[in-house]
Amino acid sequence: MPERIVTVVPEDGLHARPGATFVETAAESDADVQVGHAGSDLVNAASMLAVTGLGVERGDEVRVVAEGAGAEATLDELERVLTSPEDEL
Amino acid sequence: MPRRLSGVGAARATGAGTAVWDGSEPELGDPPAADAVDADAELERFEAARNAAREGLHAERERATDRLDDAEAAVFDAHIQFLADPQLAEGVREGIGDGLPAEHAVNRAFGEFLARFEEMDGRMAERADDLRDVRDRVLRALTGAARDDPADLPAGSVVLAERLTPSDTARLDPDRVAGFATVTGGRTSHAAIFARSLGLPAVVGVGEGLREVAAGTEVVVDGSRGRVVVHPDAATREAAEREEGAEVRAEPVATADGTPVEVAANVGRRADLAAAAEHGADGIGLFRTEYLFVDRASPPGEAEQYDAYREALGAFPDGHVVVRTLDVGGDKPIGYLDLPEEANPFLGERGIRRSLGPDADVFETQLRALLRAAATESGGRLSVMVPLLATVEEVIETRDVMESVAADLGAAGEAYAIPEFGVMVETPAAALLVDALVDHVDFLSLGTNDLAQYVMAAERGNRRVADLADPRQPAVLRAIETAVTAAEGADVRIGVCGEMAGDPELTALLVGLGIRELSVAPTAVPRVKRAVTQVRDDAARDLAERALAADTHQGVLDAICECGE
Repeated sequence: MPERIVTVVPEDGLHARPGATFVETAAESDADVQVGHAGSDLVNAASMLAVTGLGVERGDEVRVVAEGAGAEATLDELERVLTSPEDEL
Repeated sequence: MPRRLSGVGAARATGAGTAVWDGSEPELGDPPAADAVDADAELERFEAARNAAREGLHAERERATDRLDDAEAAVFDAHIQFLADPQLAEGVREGIGDGLPAEHAVNRAFGEFLARFEEMDGRMAERADDLRDVRDRVLRALTGAARDDPADLPAGSVVLAERLTPSDTARLDPDRVAGFATVTGGRTSHAAIFARSLGLPAVVGVGEGLREVAAGTEVVVDGSRGRVVVHPDAATREAAEREEGAEVRAEPVATADGTPVEVAANVGRRADLAAAAEHGADGIGLFRTEYLFVDRASPPGEAEQYDAYREALGAFPDGHVVVRTLDVGGDKPIGYLDLPEEANPFLGERGIRRSLGPDADVFETQLRALLRAAATESGGRLSVMVPLLATVEEVIETRDVMESVAADLGAAGEAYAIPEFGVMVETPAAALLVDALVDHVDFLSLGTNDLAQYVMAAERGNRRVADLADPRQPAVLRAIETAVTAAEGADVRIGVCGEMAGDPELTALLVGLGIRELSVAPTAVPRVKRAVTQVRDDAARDLAERALAADTHQGVLDAICECGE
């Protein structure tokens, strides 16, 4: 299954705008996407509640796993969200 | 009798008015018997309410974009995603399946996640506020309960609330609402951040005592001191109203006896440049360059920084622009700088220590941009200062780096000039060494926030020791006096750029101590300028003498209070 391990760049971590953009991207993808702290349990990346509940902050390492149609393209896009400074989202 | 309640000041502004309680949580009665509920109809009601809430959120986001910074308006993007969450919809459907009407099912589903968020540490309290905000929006759509529209509040109201959600706060109109105070919440809560953005007087986290304040009571919300005064006396009220109405003075000011005092602005983000100019600042006394460095994957290049410094000079065609070089440490994560985790980042490798150490490349690039900006037409007004200085060696080394950057620029045929050079006096070491530092610098700037923290070994953000980390502590005043006396003896300029400078009640004290340059938050410029014009030089010197003679915190406070009349 394609996956990425990414260090989170945006100041707000996976909250506020970066969180919303991340979840929206995952929800709109045809692939089934899961996310979690590297080395911990994964949650549904299309759920804002689940993603917020991870408490991901800037500088954290997260693991994103995708399965299904367009998995690689979805991961590219999600990696971009996780590594872009907030004002470029 | 006036009564004082203390909390956390959110915005450095003061407002007086009549208390109005905001009860924002819709009330739900007991659920009816399960067999009385038509599940299909309830599901339809839920979907309709969710659609209505979504439309409302999009409208809220539009409004917020007009009134708040983009980053703050983005809070509503998160709300839109919470509302669309599949787990939440699933929870509501389950509740309806269990025989609950839609509003009770919504309440239960949100409640589970709220409980989970509230158990977690740190910023999750704010996420819980977000979730409550979304829940209440759906509940209002279901129950048809109209929310109190803050636009209907009588002008001059002070809004009191258990907590204010982002939606509540974003709707407060600074032209109608005199301020707000909440029982819960901290400095980083949405309510506090929005208040700062709107320039609205606010005190959050006041605690239980606030609940006893009845609607209709006269109150003063003092965001500068984190204080709510209930039944204020006439003097307190008038002072608050005066402070609200301070006019903008574009020209430099002097004391009542004609001693000129520069009132410049602290700038920590690009938008502050315009705000500083609008509020009549004489220049920039502290340009915090961190904002150029955070939130990105690599450091800003020389050209980008050069443009930023020129922009700052352009915003103040007649004023000084004092740029502080990058001030980061283990408490401010910047991914590309590889900041170490330290047990005590405030006593670790930060400020100039990093610039002369692991961030030498970043420092050189910053100095190149500064030296080139100093060579432009208006560059003579540019100064450079370095943070967290503790030794004379650090100053000498910094000057050496600057000389070698200048030599490189010269060799490459680039135009450059060596700007005026100064250091922050924010460690006790620097304050004690001013008599030696003056041989190596053109000016000094007292960072009273850090100086108070380091002199008193007490962190300002920690409520339990906040009284200790007060610049009005005798030990801090004496450190300031030591520095000012040594600087005056060598004829080296010394200013203050901490929050102390922005408190109009302390202006006379600082002038009396010999300070002639103040740098304050942009919105504080008008009231500090007005305070300067009211200072009588001899009275200010007497005040400084009495404050320095005081051996206790209370003694200093009494000295300041007596003179405030």
